[in-house]
Amino acid sequence: MKIRNVILLVVILLCSASFSEAAEDKYQFKSKEQEQTFRELTLELRCPKCQNQNIADSDAVVAKDLRDKVLTLIHEGNTKQEVIDYMIDRYGYFVHYQPPVTPATIILWVLPVVIVILGFGFIVFRQKKAAKKQLWSAEDEKMLEKLIQQYQRKERHS
Amino acid sequence: MNRKILGFLPFLIFVFLCVFLYQGLFGNPRELQTGRLGQAMPSFNLPDLMSDQKRWTEKDLLGDVYLMNVWGTWCPTCIAELGYLTRLREQGVKIVGLYYEQAYDPDFGDHFDIHALREEVQMMLSRAGNPYQFNILDLERTLALDLGVSGAPETFLVNKQGTILLHHTGDINQRVWRNKFLPVLEELRSEN
Repeated sequence: MKIRNVILLVVILLCSASFSEAAEDKYQFKSKEQEQTFRELTLELRCPKCQNQNIADSDAVVAKDLRDKVLTLIHEGNTKQEVIDYMIDRYGYFVHYQPPVTPATIILWVLPVVIVILGFGFIVFRQKKAAKKQLWSAEDEKMLEKLIQQYQRKERHS
Repeated sequence: MNRKILGFLPFLIFVFLCVFLYQGLFGNPRELQTGRLGQAMPSFNLPDLMSDQKRWTEKDLLGDVYLMNVWGTWCPTCIAELGYLTRLREQGVKIVGLYYEQAYDPDFGDHFDIHALREEVQMMLSRAGNPYQFNILDLERTLALDLGVSGAPETFLVNKQGTILLHHTGDINQRVWRNKFLPVLEELRSEN
């Protein structure tokens, strides 16, 4: 039973390996770096039609067009950033999964930091307050002694 | 006093989140804007859909305010908006079609026949109304990519100088026309 499971697993793994190889064969590259750039870009660029999919993952017509364009641009010797800029020129910031820092999006970076700082501030504030309460002066000591003596006296009398 | 404000803080955060999420419910994520807004129409040199000899470039379109409507007979929403667009044409709006073809691509179609396509387009336009002055055939979807088109139907409003003023994703109907296109058109008219 166990051996059969293992064989099944191996077969599945082999099949998936051959599938991914078939997908890679479709695109020809001059160098390993170009292939790497292409793979990174198709994962980072977002399909404008099937939103929430990158262009490597999507079967939409526009995703295929964008993949082909990325390939052409890489073959022409463009850098990764140049390809990204080319796409943003046409499809807007939406097309890239990394949003740019603009006045409208700055809150995405600032808000987490502000929350962390506020949280720490709150903790420090509370600790200081608690420390203040624990201050024990000589007067407090005298008062305590007095109270104890009073109480002891009361106990003796009763 | 301080304590009272602190006590209200969770409530304020709650209200803020409610407003934020409520807006998200009714926002349309497909309403995308091209990166080309405010820029010139990209240069192109493409054939006419109906004739092999005729070619169009972006310079042929200068001097008129016009709509460029991206469409295809394979797209039901495009067919549905033909009627309304035809009424706009009758009101004097110049509409140019950018024909977005899929079947030409071996990944999406088995065969492509330009004559069959012309017949189909002619039949469709005679039935549903023909809003187009002419149609530009973008077989490789190069102009579509340069314009930031993600599908069909999409419509661009371009002024006399060839600057892209508006980009609309989805069909054009009376509501969209009144709210989105008319204000910009009226502004253009008052400038002249």
